[in-house]
Amino acid sequence: MNSLERQRKLFIISSLAIPVFLLVCFVVFPAIDLFRMSFTNWDGLSPTSDFIKLDNYIAMFHNPDLWQSLKNNGVYFFVHLCMIPVELAFAVLLNSKLRAAKFYKTMVFLPYIINGVAISYAFSYFFSPVNGAFDSILETIKLGMLSGHGWLSDEKIINFTLAFVSLWRFSGYHIILFMASLQSVNQDIMEAARIDGANSWQLFRYIQTPSIALMVDFVLFDNIRGAMQVFDIPFVMTQGGPGYASSTFTLYTIKTAFTFANFGLASTMAVAIMIIIILIYIVQNKIIHGFILKEGK
Amino acid sequence: MKKLLSALLASAMVLSLLAGCGGKTGGSGAPANGSNPGGSGTAAGDLKGDLVFAIWDNNLLEYIEDNDMVGKFQETYPNIDIEVEKIKDDSEYWNSMKMRASANQLPDVMFNKPFTLSRFQDYLLDLSGTEACKNNTLAQGYALNGKVLGIPMTAGYEYVYYWKDMFQEAGVQVPTTWEELKDVSKKLQDYFGAKDPDFMAIALGAKDEWPTYPYMEFMPALVSGNGQNWNDMAKSDAPFASGTDINTAYHRVYDLFTSGVLGKDPLGMSKDQVTNLFAQKKAAITALGDWGLQDISGAADSTDQLGTFYLPVRESASEPFRYIVQGDSFMGVTTHSKNPEAAKAFVEWFYSEAWYPGYINYVSSASSMANFPKDKDPILAEADAAQPDGEMVMYDGGGDDFTALQNETTFDYKKLGAQMLTNGFDLDAALADLDAKWGAARAKLGIQ
Repeated sequence: MNSLERQRKLFIISSLAIPVFLLVCFVVFPAIDLFRMSFTNWDGLSPTSDFIKLDNYIAMFHNPDLWQSLKNNGVYFFVHLCMIPVELAFAVLLNSKLRAAKFYKTMVFLPYIINGVAISYAFSYFFSPVNGAFDSILETIKLGMLSGHGWLSDEKIINFTLAFVSLWRFSGYHIILFMASLQSVNQDIMEAARIDGANSWQLFRYIQTPSIALMVDFVLFDNIRGAMQVFDIPFVMTQGGPGYASSTFTLYTIKTAFTFANFGLASTMAVAIMIIIILIYIVQNKIIHGFILKEGK
Repeated sequence: MKKLLSALLASAMVLSLLAGCGGKTGGSGAPANGSNPGGSGTAAGDLKGDLVFAIWDNNLLEYIEDNDMVGKFQETYPNIDIEVEKIKDDSEYWNSMKMRASANQLPDVMFNKPFTLSRFQDYLLDLSGTEACKNNTLAQGYALNGKVLGIPMTAGYEYVYYWKDMFQEAGVQVPTTWEELKDVSKKLQDYFGAKDPDFMAIALGAKDEWPTYPYMEFMPALVSGNGQNWNDMAKSDAPFASGTDINTAYHRVYDLFTSGVLGKDPLGMSKDQVTNLFAQKKAAITALGDWGLQDISGAADSTDQLGTFYLPVRESASEPFRYIVQGDSFMGVTTHSKNPEAAKAFVEWFYSEAWYPGYINYVSSASSMANFPKDKDPILAEADAAQPDGEMVMYDGGGDDFTALQNETTFDYKKLGAQMLTNGFDLDAALADLDAKWGAARAKLGIQ
């Protein structure tokens, strides 16, 4: 092995060792420890804990409030999922020769870079039943009969209110991701298709969509991960209430750990949410690639 | 090369495992109660070290900063440095302290509430030998197994704040029984609600859930006159059954909450929002601790018409009138402190002539120190004047058994208060469900 070769290998190893070390310390080891804790009754304070086999897993399945919380996560998931085609349409629109496109791009992305807690506070006041801007807007546009619905207190609509805030915040991020991938589509192919007489819909359906499939995959995964782990918006705006009407899986996990001092059960929930995310992703992938995108391949 | 990489990975894992074990074993060494009073027998100049003092109270932080607490302390103890660490609010404070307790990283000096004392008891030193403890009127009452684990900084009273001019305009008097409170609230709601649909006779802020505490946390103790009611609950298999104090109290709360006196959407607004509305006289009544006076005064144009009374829980005027008092903000020294003697010296100094009188006069809360009595603010003193024969109930936040059962059954009284306001809520079913869980939890945990 010559000197250059040795130096090259040394560089590669040291470049790998540091991230691997950090990964092991801060991801792999905590994940293993989380899994271990999920079989204990640790209260978060005691120096010791008992191994209680599958008791936490059984308790988790018998907890109606937790499943109510997971159902609430479902609202975020489906609302965001329904918006993905719209986000894609916006991205295509902003990617075309549109007047003041740069301004629109900035406006679309702006909510994503604002602090999430600040947004949640602002929307708490926006949807307030007294002096709330949303009700005032409804009254101004002669839709006063829709106002005063308890946007943050009615169990039937509270999750949709929160999902709307989540949409407002995250849609711009998805649009920017779609735009970035649309810009990477090979222009020669687009030009050739145009010469062959393809219209805008055909260009979108048969060239752009397959070209950005990877990004669609990522956005879909990001949607599952984000929807299943949503925390700051319900935490600040409603504390998961009233009762557990707007609680989410993560919110309930944190309450279990810190309010009810049951870190063992909370760890079980954290393991469960990891498994749920992976399962939903696999199923969604099968549906998207098995049926919807099959034609395009 | 593969061997080298494997060796690196293996050592990384071993290191991280060792680091993890270190955290746990450190925790096991936590309970080590000392009893030597801070600084006694040691010259002030001999004590040295760095202390971390963790707080959540905005008023305390403001006073500490404005009055250079560290500088004043160092005039007596020049070799002790103090870092004041402010945490957002008390909820975040407990979360942070729990994490730090397990990581062996508690601050040297921390605060507790009555309901957290038992949770942190293994991490707090006994302060019963200190002068601060001897002069404190409440500390001994909260001792656990004979150990005083924190010195209450203030004596906490709960008040109902109201606007006198609004009462006068609506033609109602200060209530002295629960029925009168319901009646007065209804009249206020009908009178002012007719002009303003956003009006609330009682401002609650149930969106935050915790503002239901004056009713949900204290009323069972007030109904029975038993400040130890949570601890007694732990001795029963069915503490929520019909006829029990908690059942009676929660039915009264439910009747009040569902009578329409909380305005059009009490679940849609936070405590901050309703306190501001109360300050603007968009609400006539609000129940808060003594600390609430500072919040209201800060938001109101004038407090000339602001008055207080104690929450009237009794059913009839022939029953004794009871009100709650509790030790608040229990300052304790943790077992994780590397300089426990310096930390105790700080506690002694905090409750001495050099600091405490100035602080207690700055806040609206009452003094807990016999050697530094404080006259109540005239607004708060009105509640005492209205009930000169009132019976004080010393509130205990609940001991080990209650806390264990509360965690096991996920009994959250503040959340339950907010749930009462939801459509289709069935209080009897909720209490029966809690009873079933409570009995099962006692059997599981072996609590007698």
